[in-house]
Amino acid sequence: MLQDYLIPETVEQALSHLQGGKGRARVVAGGTDLLLDLANGKKEAGVLVDLTRIPGLQEITLEDDLIRLGAAVTHNQVAKSKLIQEKASVLARAARSVGSLQIRNTATVVGNVVNAQPAADAAVALVALGAVAEVVSPSGKEYIPVEKLYAGVGKSVLDSTSQIVTRIQFPALLKNQGSAYERLEQRKALALPMLNVAVVVSLADNRFQWARIVMAPVGPGPVRATEAEAILTGADVSLGNIENAAAAARAQANPRSSALRGSREYRLEVLPVLVRRALEAAVVRAGGNC
Amino acid sequence: MKNYNVVGQSVRRLDAAEKATGTAVFSSDFTLPGMLYGKVLRSPYAHARIVSIDTTEAEKLPGVKAVVTYKNTPREIFNTSATMTFTVPALKPVLDQYIFDSVVRYVGDEVAAVAAVSEKLAEEALKLIKVEYEELPAVFDPLEAMKPEAPDIHANCKEGKNIIGEIIKIPMGDVEKGFKECDLVIEKRFKLPIVKQVQMETQAAVAQVEVNGKITVWSTTQTPHPTRMILAKIFGVPNSKIRVLNPPYVGGGFGVRIGLSAKAEPIAVALAMQAGKPVRVIYSREEDFMASDTRHGGYVTVKLGAKKDGTFHALDLKAALNGGAYCSFSTETPGVLGAMGLAVYRIPNQSYYGHSVYTNVTPAGAMRGFGNPQAMFPIESVVDMMAEELGMDPLELRLKNIMRAGDPWCLPYPCQSTGLAECIERGAKSIGWERRGSLNQPGAKKLRGIGVGVGTHVSNSWPFCVDYDNAIVTVQQDGSIHLASGVPDIGTGTSTALPQLAAEVLGVGLEEVSLTFGDTLSTPFDIGSHASRTLYAAGTAVVAAAEDAKRQILEYAADFLKVSPERLEIKDSLIYITGRELGEDCAGTGVCKTGEERISVTLQELAYHAHLRNKQFIGVGRIVPENAPPWHAHFAEVEVDTETGQVKVIRVAAAHDVGKAINPVIVEGQIEGGVLQGVGYAVSEEIVHDAKGRPLHNSLHKYLLPTAEDIPEIDAIIVEASDPSGPFGAKGVGETGLVPTAGAIANAVYNATGVRFYEIPMTEEKVFRALSAAKNSTC
Repeated sequence: MLQDYLIPETVEQALSHLQGGKGRARVVAGGTDLLLDLANGKKEAGVLVDLTRIPGLQEITLEDDLIRLGAAVTHNQVAKSKLIQEKASVLARAARSVGSLQIRNTATVVGNVVNAQPAADAAVALVALGAVAEVVSPSGKEYIPVEKLYAGVGKSVLDSTSQIVTRIQFPALLKNQGSAYERLEQRKALALPMLNVAVVVSLADNRFQWARIVMAPVGPGPVRATEAEAILTGADVSLGNIENAAAAARAQANPRSSALRGSREYRLEVLPVLVRRALEAAVVRAGGNC
Repeated sequence: MKNYNVVGQSVRRLDAAEKATGTAVFSSDFTLPGMLYGKVLRSPYAHARIVSIDTTEAEKLPGVKAVVTYKNTPREIFNTSATMTFTVPALKPVLDQYIFDSVVRYVGDEVAAVAAVSEKLAEEALKLIKVEYEELPAVFDPLEAMKPEAPDIHANCKEGKNIIGEIIKIPMGDVEKGFKECDLVIEKRFKLPIVKQVQMETQAAVAQVEVNGKITVWSTTQTPHPTRMILAKIFGVPNSKIRVLNPPYVGGGFGVRIGLSAKAEPIAVALAMQAGKPVRVIYSREEDFMASDTRHGGYVTVKLGAKKDGTFHALDLKAALNGGAYCSFSTETPGVLGAMGLAVYRIPNQSYYGHSVYTNVTPAGAMRGFGNPQAMFPIESVVDMMAEELGMDPLELRLKNIMRAGDPWCLPYPCQSTGLAECIERGAKSIGWERRGSLNQPGAKKLRGIGVGVGTHVSNSWPFCVDYDNAIVTVQQDGSIHLASGVPDIGTGTSTALPQLAAEVLGVGLEEVSLTFGDTLSTPFDIGSHASRTLYAAGTAVVAAAEDAKRQILEYAADFLKVSPERLEIKDSLIYITGRELGEDCAGTGVCKTGEERISVTLQELAYHAHLRNKQFIGVGRIVPENAPPWHAHFAEVEVDTETGQVKVIRVAAAHDVGKAINPVIVEGQIEGGVLQGVGYAVSEEIVHDAKGRPLHNSLHKYLLPTAEDIPEIDAIIVEASDPSGPFGAKGVGETGLVPTAGAIANAVYNATGVRFYEIPMTEEKVFRALSAAKNSTC
């Protein structure tokens, strides 16, 4: 039973509210997932600690080529941010594809990560960007790669009754770098992805310096197509190499069959198409040429 | 063309301000003092016998005021749909439902209900009801259900295993001989999905039972008067002691509540009787999905024969529809499927054989188009195939064969108008038909295509069903107009368009007219809002009532102005002598000198003059509508992503012959909404069941309605081939937007890819598989 709703003004206050709750207090930001889970009895909380009024957490900043998103930054803020569109377009596209306008106006990007759904759009893009979460707990502050936050389907390694992700940060893309997002969906809003793919590439002299390729839902969390990334590292930018990488990505994917969102076989057949399209688009944005 | 003052104008809807500001009242937000909240316990099994049911624990829970099951509610058999009130003799309606029964026949079937002081308590009480079930064998597919080994779902099937009611047979000419005379015959079977209306407001009812036995029910029904008749039969109460009304708005319908709102009304009444307090029952969205009528899925076979020159010569149409667990409209739907399917083209030899079949899924009933979309996706696909076989342009082939006014057809009323040729011509121009065939570059992975689909429909249900209307126009003592019509406004603009008709006939401004509607106590009997009939049929009664009132006004005015009534006309509430100059008269100035010669009089002055002499003008309209065919041609442009199988509908040009658009913006809204439902029908919407008969698509999240972001560009084109039978020439438009859409889209997908789909929806995976198979077979 929910008994209190607290609105702290500092991260320290928020932490102390959580501590005072002794496991019954829980962090809330946008609440678009949490409130449904509370209503359905999937989660319980006696106290909700609202992070959205803590100064600074609503901001998207760029400092020393590092982009930082506060815990209260919404999907629409990210989708509409010039900075994100220019220096991390994969995230802008991913954030734009979540839910509906109303949900994007409320739901936070950090919440999308902490809720730990396998194909959370923003999280998939953040993993491709090499994003790291700033996690604050009574014992101090630590930095954990977003990729390492998953403990299983719908399970985060984080404990929202004692820890707070205050920010997520990742390097702004440089001129020779590009990103892209591909999503297979049954309609243009209010639809979970059948597949989503985020890629970031870095080019030099029309060769791949490196590539990060992330795909979902093909595992418990966003899955790095490491074999595909290895194929591209140091390779020429060419359709052949991109197609080889796409095939390798497929070999590393393990999607499930869903009666609602497509069979495993179908997803496996379409996945390389999305990887190829994403790589082609990212290469173009990085100034490359297939 | 005649010029009108109010008719044909896109006046702002009279309910716009209320709805835009959120003050309009719907059943789901209607409350009464002391009202209780009803909740329903539903079957988890597709087919089971209730061995025992124990409600004692639920009854003991503090705050619970009533618990009802099959043991303590009327055992009067009925049909939730209005078919039980309007089936034309000698046909008899199929009655196969009780409020609660000792056998459950689909997942979601009603087992018990509780009324409590809060929704939460009612839900808790449901969990305390102990039910022991004995599972029975279940069947979900109509063809499976007709096999001898299938379980009998009801005992009353006379025409064959699990066949609901009568088999519909429509013969015309000699098909067997006809096919022998054809140069080319194509026969194909199509599979159709179960889809849902997904009207905005879920099923809801609030019932109040007074100590003197009078019952009042506020509900979401599309047909308050027939619903009153059904409730009267279930509860054994005279019609006159029951009042059914909308409060006054209804959040959509699309056919889902022609008759009862699923079982919201009888359950609310049963609980209110037991509790002695008003009870509100609102279905959750999940309940609405699983326990209120769907569209019929099933199988339709088209066999079309043509001569070498493209003349259609024989058509044989067959349908086996999935009726679900109870009849509802399962006898009428296959009838409309056949009748409309045979009515589009001029073919001398035709036959139809169709029926519904009981299965253990949610009952299927009325949904916008009522069998017609199920006919036209298959027929328009086969017509396209025929054009290809003949090497003819699909438009040319259609123009050669479509019905013309006066042609013989299978329907029991004449075809008095058709603007279909003009619809085809204007739609083709809008879509750019000539671009067809040059839309794609060689090697492209995303392929564009353009397709067409045409059709017709009805403007009410006569003579297939009982169908009549009454209206009363009362001129108030100040000259303003009160109109009473028993039809509801389910969001289609009835409460604006009917006053427009009255205002036009009476020669008054729209602001002078007010309307009472959707209430059995304060309006005369009307069948209600279904079958694209509201404007056409109820409108005809409104016109008749207004003409009656006008006749009385002019007769009285003739005495007043000392001329014969034939010389009088009314405009802007001023009654004047035709041919006499206006302007010199004192009317309207309020300062008429005694004895001054009058050449005009305001309705206001005249009505009050009459009032002071003990007279009021009251017009009555009592009509049985004729019927008239609306016509339509849809053109769709699609883009198929051949690497993922996704079909994107880019643009739809939807040309509709509506006879006369009384309010063009409302007509366009009807067309656009229908087109969008048709897009969903073609590419994304379906309710699929698991092996136990549980529906997988039972929420707005899972059921894939197109969203605002999926809407293609829609060009709604109004064609006006005036029909002599309709008010100001109008015909029905409520359902037509949905009828030809899936066929047009499927034909466009074929045009893009060369792959023909015999099953909808054309979802990503289905299209991907078909394209892969086609590629493998050609390599």
